[in-house]
Amino acid sequence: MSHSILIVDDEDDIREVAALSLESIADWKVYVASSGAEGLSLAIQHRPDAIVLDVMMPVMDGPATFRELQKNPATASIPVLLLTAKVQSSDQRRFADLGVKAILFKPFDPLTLADQISSALGWD
Amino acid sequence: MEPAGQSALSQALDQLWARFLPQIEERVSILESAAAAISANQLLTEQREAASASAHKLAGVLGTFGLARGTDLARQLEITYSREGVPGSCAHIAEITAELRAIVASRN
Repeated sequence: MSHSILIVDDEDDIREVAALSLESIADWKVYVASSGAEGLSLAIQHRPDAIVLDVMMPVMDGPATFRELQKNPATASIPVLLLTAKVQSSDQRRFADLGVKAILFKPFDPLTLADQISSALGWD
Repeated sequence: MEPAGQSALSQALDQLWARFLPQIEERVSILESAAAAISANQLLTEQREAASASAHKLAGVLGTFGLARGTDLARQLEITYSREGVPGSCAHIAEITAELRAIVASRN
């Protein structure tokens, strides 16, 4: 089954590899945003099936963007996965406490990224 | 995934690597400048913060392009530069930075 997904990351290399991976391997429709503000706008416009949200972004970081998504009835029900290069367990606990569906770690394997997302969201 | 699909993805990743290599090399250059500044005992706070941010970005991306060792080294440097003050063992930092440069150069 095909899905649509929004990737929000300020790093263009990560954004493009993730988009390439999800489009070519899973055949999902992928939207990309380079900031939290753009992510909010695209989430409202396209209502993707899920959002992958980078943690460390300037101006509005991942947790702040997630809280804004939760406040808006148009986007509150969209499942969100955080993407982070932070590996310390204290960071992981802090992110998990936000209420996101899952935490994905950088670097990810482009061959298995779609499987990781599907598994976290019960899309298997 | 079929082998043909894997091959196509691998080719596409190679193209992305070539496209983003200048920015990846720039991040390594920032780390090299910081390592040189440590050796000269002239590391500025802004330089340390820039090095921490560059190392963080490299740690996140290099493994995605198959350079797992590069991610490990960048992560060590991120931890080093994220601490306040002047990092110790400048020879070790220079070694790690040089290995990181070699790993990036080795992926064609």
